Amino acid sequence: MAQGLRRSRTHLAWNDQVTGFLQATVYGLLQGGLLALVAVGFSLVWGVMNVVNLSHGAFVVLGAYVGWQLNISLGLDPFLGMVIVALVLFCIGYAVQRFLINLVVNGPIFITLLLTFGLELLLVQGMNIVFTANYQSIPTSYAGNAIVLGGIQVPLGRLLAFLLAVGITVLLVKVMANTRIGMSIMATGMDRGAARLMGIRARHVYALTFGIATALAGMAGTMVGTVGTFNPAAAGGFTLLSFVIAVLGGLGNMYGAMVGGLLMGLVQAWGGYYLSGTWVNALAFLVLVIVLMFRPSGLVGKAFYAARVEV
Amino acid sequence: MKTSRILATATIAAVSVALTGCGSKGEAGGDAGASSGTLTIGASISLTGKTAREGVLTQEGYQLCQEKVNAKGGVKVGDKMLKLDIKYQDDTSKPDTAASLVDQFNDQGIKLILGSYGSANTEAQAAVIERNNQVMVDSSGADNNIFAKGYKRTFGVLSPATEYAASIVKAVAELASPKPTSVVVLSADDGFSKRAADGAAKAAKDLGFTVLETQYFPNGATDVSASLNKVKASNPDVIIGSVHLAEGVAIIKQAKELGVVPKVFGETVAPPTPDFVTTLGKDAEGVLGSSQWTKSAAGSDDYFGTAKQYDADIQAKFKHEAGYHNAEASAACLAFVLAIQKAGSTDANKVRDALAALDAPSFFAQLKFDAVGMNSSKPMSVIQIQGGKQVTVWPKASAEAALIWPGTTK
Repeated sequence: MAQGLRRSRTHLAWNDQVTGFLQATVYGLLQGGLLALVAVGFSLVWGVMNVVNLSHGAFVVLGAYVGWQLNISLGLDPFLGMVIVALVLFCIGYAVQRFLINLVVNGPIFITLLLTFGLELLLVQGMNIVFTANYQSIPTSYAGNAIVLGGIQVPLGRLLAFLLAVGITVLLVKVMANTRIGMSIMATGMDRGAARLMGIRARHVYALTFGIATALAGMAGTMVGTVGTFNPAAAGGFTLLSFVIAVLGGLGNMYGAMVGGLLMGLVQAWGGYYLSGTWVNALAFLVLVIVLMFRPSGLVGKAFYAARVEV
Repeated sequence: MKTSRILATATIAAVSVALTGCGSKGEAGGDAGASSGTLTIGASISLTGKTAREGVLTQEGYQLCQEKVNAKGGVKVGDKMLKLDIKYQDDTSKPDTAASLVDQFNDQGIKLILGSYGSANTEAQAAVIERNNQVMVDSSGADNNIFAKGYKRTFGVLSPATEYAASIVKAVAELASPKPTSVVVLSADDGFSKRAADGAAKAAKDLGFTVLETQYFPNGATDVSASLNKVKASNPDVIIGSVHLAEGVAIIKQAKELGVVPKVFGETVAPPTPDFVTTLGKDAEGVLGSSQWTKSAAGSDDYFGTAKQYDADIQAKFKHEAGYHNAEASAACLAFVLAIQKAGSTDANKVRDALAALDAPSFFAQLKFDAVGMNSSKPMSVIQIQGGKQVTVWPKASAEAALIWPGTTK
């Protein structure tokens, strides 16, 4: 009798452990998808233009605010509102690149770092003034709910964000490989001089790339605002996260951010579940170091992008 | 050429360091900060950065204090009435910046300082205050560690960190029926939160609860799912979050996503902040929070009147309900004013002695400091979000409504 009870307790503990592991894995993957969406634009700009955009996180937060504003003033659902967010952020991104970053795009990397850092400060402070430092969230009736599959909770908002991230990444790959614009972007990224000789207007292509990146950042921001909270101070964290994910996944491959994001999400979820939650950031960077030791160009990156010479 | 440039850079750096060093040791005159009918107090405030929201609430508290004091003619120092003038500098929520701003105030001859927001900033400032012979009244640094270093010139108006989460445990033990049996604490890993978490775990053990292992996550984390996932299988009755606003909101949101439903959630700093209800909406219902002050607090003073009047004044000036971040800031400023008046001087040493001997009632609580500078006799209150509003439920003497139990719905 006592033995039977012990066995059933062990069985229960084992069941709990399996459920716990699966729950951590599912949540980690979903969180990873969201992280990938945050980072994909950063990776694109770095890969194509060789600009490490330190203002990327500020565009993510700006997207969240635009989505929030559309929700509270027009009642637009964030998943619908994000189309408008993408358009607004695309226009802002296009203009910022064309009239600001383009001025120094040929300069040393420190100049572009400095400029984008300054831009980040301006945007964050601007948002502080316009929207205040209050924490905000885009309310929906469904995002916090979950579908239960065999004892595993799958949060609806995060699932939608994940599917969107995968969809956008696949779409981006298709656009880059099969459209004239995509091929112009890839060509300019590979060799700006040669692309110019082929009649590609590098300035326009760069602005287009930056616009696409900020549009994606804006969409990611709207998602973050729907499943979590945001305020202007969150911008720096998003930039750092994007940096790590871009390096982890590798440049020059549109799937890089997705692979990096998913790995990051899983490492954080598993690390938090099996070790102390305070280790998650250290673990994420440990994984980054290990990956770079064996694959210096990132998990799916192309070595060419690190060594190219631009004219 | 290169060598000379390096030399020049090194020289500039050395001179700057030397100048900064000299400046920070600058000894300003005895009546520092008081000139031509004004009394200047320095305040480094977190107006940007990760605790900007709380920083702004703190500044509002200081601003209302200045307005109230000046409306009564100012601060009476001897036979003079000095207009109160609080100088603000943004410390971007960073402890090292907060500490260097205290140095800068000292260089300007400002010896009287009102604290920044949060324990980390205040702790960094306290060391500089001691070195420069300045005096600080701390409005929001509750970590017991700040007061465990033998400093003589920092005075905190608020209850210590160990009481924050412990008060929620005490309230649940006293009011909940049927009484819950198990408690788990989820805590951020900063000094203040850890101290509060330890206090909660100890109180729970003393009151006979089964206490599960405390789970930690990084300070400022917006993803606490791993900690929730870990405690889900144990199905604890009470989940206490020893957290700030961002982590506090994440606990409630992600617990819903993960299907973690205890009988009640209790959190330290988050629920009394206005943003808690605006970001969480109806998910905030039933959550308990510990508060340094509530609108039903007893006591009154000549400047702010009662707690209810204080709330009305904050609503009129800043268009939102008064939170405890506002109140503790105003109380810190009030303690300074009362001590300066009692000392009859703005001399830092005399003001320090007057603060050490202060024992005055106020809208906030009795302002009285123990040997290490803490207001340790001050009780904390526990609030519950009911109908989108913060309602005091404990201690019973100042309760505005009964505890709704359980605080969650399956």
